[in-house]
Amino acid sequence: MKDAVLVIGAGVAGMTAAIELADSNIETVLIDRLPTAGGNALDLYKAFPTDDCFYCFEGSRSRPGIRKCFYRSALIDQPNLHLRTDTEVAEISGSPGSFTVKLTVGPRYVDSRKCILCGLCLELSNAFEQISPQCQPQAVIYRPDLLDDGAKKAESDCPTKAINLNAEPTEETVNITDIVLATGYHEMQPINVDEYSYGKHPNIITQLELAKILDPNGESGGALLRPSDGAQVKNMMMIQCVGSRDENYYAYCSKICCVFALKHAKIVSSERNGIGITVVYMDMRTYDRHERYYRETRDSGVRFLRGRLHLIDPREDGTLDVTVYDSLLNKYLRHNIDLLVLSSALEPPESNDGIIQLLDVQMRSGFIGPSDPFSENEVVAGDHLYVCGSATGPTEVPESVTQARAVVSKILQGRRS
Amino acid sequence: MPAYNLYMGCSVPANYPNYEASMLKVALALGMELEYMENVACCGSPNLRAIDYLGWLTVNARTLAIAEENGHDIVTPCNGCFASLKDTLHHLKHDESDMKKVNSELKKLGLTFKGTIKVRHFIEALYTDIGVEEIRKKVTNPLDGIGISIHYGCHLMRPADVTGFRPEILDELVSLTGATVIEYPIWKQCCGATVLPVNEPLAIRLARDKIKSMKEAGAAFAAVVCPACGNQLDLQQLGLKDSYGEVYDLPVLLYPQILALAMGMDESEIGLEMNRVPADTILDHLTS
Amino acid sequence: MSDAEEQTGPPITLVEPIDVSKLDSEFRKTIRSMPNGEELMACFACSTCTAACPIANQWDYKPHQLIRMILLGMRDDVLSSKEIWECLTCFQCQERCPQKVRVTDIFFDCKNLAAEEGMIPDNIIGLARELAEKGQLYVVTADWEREDLGLEPEVPGLSANGIREILKTTRTNKIVGGES
Repeated sequence: MKDAVLVIGAGVAGMTAAIELADSNIETVLIDRLPTAGGNALDLYKAFPTDDCFYCFEGSRSRPGIRKCFYRSALIDQPNLHLRTDTEVAEISGSPGSFTVKLTVGPRYVDSRKCILCGLCLELSNAFEQISPQCQPQAVIYRPDLLDDGAKKAESDCPTKAINLNAEPTEETVNITDIVLATGYHEMQPINVDEYSYGKHPNIITQLELAKILDPNGESGGALLRPSDGAQVKNMMMIQCVGSRDENYYAYCSKICCVFALKHAKIVSSERNGIGITVVYMDMRTYDRHERYYRETRDSGVRFLRGRLHLIDPREDGTLDVTVYDSLLNKYLRHNIDLLVLSSALEPPESNDGIIQLLDVQMRSGFIGPSDPFSENEVVAGDHLYVCGSATGPTEVPESVTQARAVVSKILQGRRS
Repeated sequence: MPAYNLYMGCSVPANYPNYEASMLKVALALGMELEYMENVACCGSPNLRAIDYLGWLTVNARTLAIAEENGHDIVTPCNGCFASLKDTLHHLKHDESDMKKVNSELKKLGLTFKGTIKVRHFIEALYTDIGVEEIRKKVTNPLDGIGISIHYGCHLMRPADVTGFRPEILDELVSLTGATVIEYPIWKQCCGATVLPVNEPLAIRLARDKIKSMKEAGAAFAAVVCPACGNQLDLQQLGLKDSYGEVYDLPVLLYPQILALAMGMDESEIGLEMNRVPADTILDHLTS
Repeated sequence: MSDAEEQTGPPITLVEPIDVSKLDSEFRKTIRSMPNGEELMACFACSTCTAACPIANQWDYKPHQLIRMILLGMRDDVLSSKEIWECLTCFQCQERCPQKVRVTDIFFDCKNLAAEEGMIPDNIIGLARELAEKGQLYVVTADWEREDLGLEPEVPGLSANGIREILKTTRTNKIVGGES
C-alpha cells in the first residue's frame, strides 16, 4: 500500500470519502471500531430527504438504484479500498503527509472472508448474531461474553471453519499521507434528564430505538409494539429537543432531529394505520427543503403541540399518562399513550476526545471543527487532516455526502501540486 | 352601450336611496345601461352563510341563474351582495357535488345555474367598461385636491382569490374627480358592520377607530362603496359624542355621489342631505 | 396563629388537565370535509391569524387557538364559543395565513355546525326570520326619500317568493321554527 489515505469511521461520510478516493486510484484504509460498516445509517429503515428504503434494492421514487447498494458493492469489490472493522487507532506518529498509524484490529473471532452466513452458528448459540441483513462485511459477529457450549460446537461444526473463539487482537501499521476524520455522532441516552424517565420505563425510548422498531427487518417485522409487553401501540407521543438547546446538556441544536422525528411520525401515521401520534416541540426546525416534510406530515394527520412536558405518570396497564403544557392554547393536556419517543440530542462519540488530542485538531462543542474557523474550508481540520459528516456536528445524509466529496476534492488537489 | 343586470340587494334601496340615485345618474351619464333585476331578493349576507350554507348558496345561485337568462353580467353597489354572489359563483365552479345539490333545488323553481356570467361591483364596471379616460372627460367641476380617505370594505377586497378586486382602481376613480387620496394606517380594517347583531359596542368601536385613523391622517372626507360600511362610518359617528366623547365631523360619501358632483350634477339629485354627517361642505371644494 | 386559622378557606382547586382521550378526534375530519376546510391540517400554529385579527385582543380564544382546538377535537368549546359569532368575516386572518388555511371560511363552517345544533345568537335568529318571511333583511321605511330622488317607492324587482321557497327546504326553516 503506497501513499494511502486513512478514513476513520465507516458511516455515510467515511464510506463516501473512502469509495471516491479508491475510485480515484488512491489506496484507502477505511476503519470502524464496530463490527460492521454503515454507522448510524445502518439502523435507519428509511432516510430523508428521498424517503428511500435502506433495504430496498429496487431504488426509490426519485432515483434508480440506491446509495446503499452502491456502497456495498464498492466495499466488496473496489481493490483500492481496504475495510477494517473492529479496528481502532492505537497510535499516530510521523508528520503531516507521512503519518505512521498503528491500528488495533479485532479480535477477529469470525473470518468474514470465510463466513457464508449459513446460519448454523446462529441456531447453536446466542453468542452469534447477524446485526443487520446489510452488515458489511457480510458475516456473523461473536460476543465472547455469551460464550456457551453451543458456541464451541459452532466453532467445530462451521462448514467453512470461519470461527476462532480464541482469537486475539492483532496490530497493523500503515503508512498514511492524509487522515479523514469521519467519526460521526452518538445519540445521547437521556438517562440524566430525569423529567423524561428514560431508562425507568420500557415504553420510553429514543428516536434511534424507534427506527429499529419500525424497521421491517427488526424483531417485530416493523409492527409498532410496546417494548413492555409487545402489545400494539395505539397512541404515541414524541418529544423534541431532549438535551438539545439546553445549556445543562448540549447548548446547540442537534439540527436533524426535527426532520428525523417528522419522518418517523409520517411513517407511523401513513403506514401504521390507526395509530394516533402527537409531536411535542418548542420550535420545528425544518430548514431548507425539509419544510415540505413538515407540511406533508401535518397533512397526514400527525398532531403537533407546541409546549413542554409537565408530568409522566405510568399506569398499571403499561400506558403512560403524559401531561403536556400547550403554550399556544395556554392549557395543560393529558394524553394516555403507549409509547413515548424522545428526540434526544446528538452528541459527539466518546472516542472523539482521544483523536482530537492525538491530532491536535480544533474542538467545536465536542465535535471536530475546521482548523481555520474563518475560512470556507469547513472540511480542513489541519495539515493533511480532514473532517466530514457528523464528526463536524450533527449532519444529515446528503450533507455528509457533500462534505465527504469536498474532502476527496481537497486530497486530490493536494496530490496534484 | 354596455348592459347589466343590476342587483340591488335590500340594504341600498331600504337605507341608501342616495347611493342608488347617484349610481343610476352617473351610469346614465356615462352610457351604462343598468337594468333592475326582477324577482330577486336579499343575498342573505354573511348571516345566512353562517347558519345555512346550502340555503345561502342556493339563494345566490338562483340570482345568478336569473341573470344568466339574458346573459348580462351582474352589477351591484353593495359589498355584501358582491361577496355573496362572487363567493357562490367561485364555490360552485369548484365543487361539483354542491353544484348538483343546488341545481336540483333550482330545478324545482324552473331554473338552472350554469356559471356563465360575471359578477362585478359597480365601481369595477365603471373602471373596466367605461374607463378612467372616458369618465375624466365628463368631469366638469373637479374637486380642488381636497383629501379623501377610502374605505374599500372587507368583502370587496377579500378573500382576494375569490373577489379578484384591486383596491388601486378605487384610488384612480377617486383621484379622477380631482380629490387627493389620503392613505391611513388601518385602511384594510373592517368597519364593524358584520358584528352589529351580536356585539354593538364592538361594532361602534371599530367604526370609531376607522374614522379616527382617517381624520388623523388628514382626510376631509371619506369615500365608501357599500351601504353597510356607509352606515357604520356615517351614522355611527353621531353616537360617538355620547359613547366616546369624541366628535369627528368627517363626512362620508358614497363614491357615485362624489363622481356625480364632479360631473356637475346637483346635490339634490344625489340626496346629499341624506348623509348623516352633513356632507354639503364638499360643495365648497368644487371648482367650476 | 389564630389569624391564619381564620383565613383558611376551602382547599385550593387546581385546574385538571384536559383529558385528550375525551375529546372528539373526528371533529377535525368533519371540518376538513366542509367548504374550504381542506387546508385545516396545514396549520402550524404560527398565530399570524391572531396577529391579523382586529378584535381578537378582547377574545378568550384567539383565532389560532380556535384552530388548535379544532385540531385537538375540542368540539363543544369551539361550537359554543362567542368568538365564532363575533368574527367580523373580514378575512384578514385568512388572507395572511402562510399555510393557506382558510381561517375565516373555517369559522363559517363552525357556525354552520353550531347552527345545526341550535346554538345561534338570538339576534341572528331574528335576522333569519326576517329573511325567511320577507326575503330581505332591510325593508323600506322612508319611501318618500326614494320618491324625492325619483326612485320607485318600493325596492325594485323584489320578490320574496323564490328565497322563501328555498329556505323552506334548508336549515333556515328549522332555525326559525317553520313547518317542515
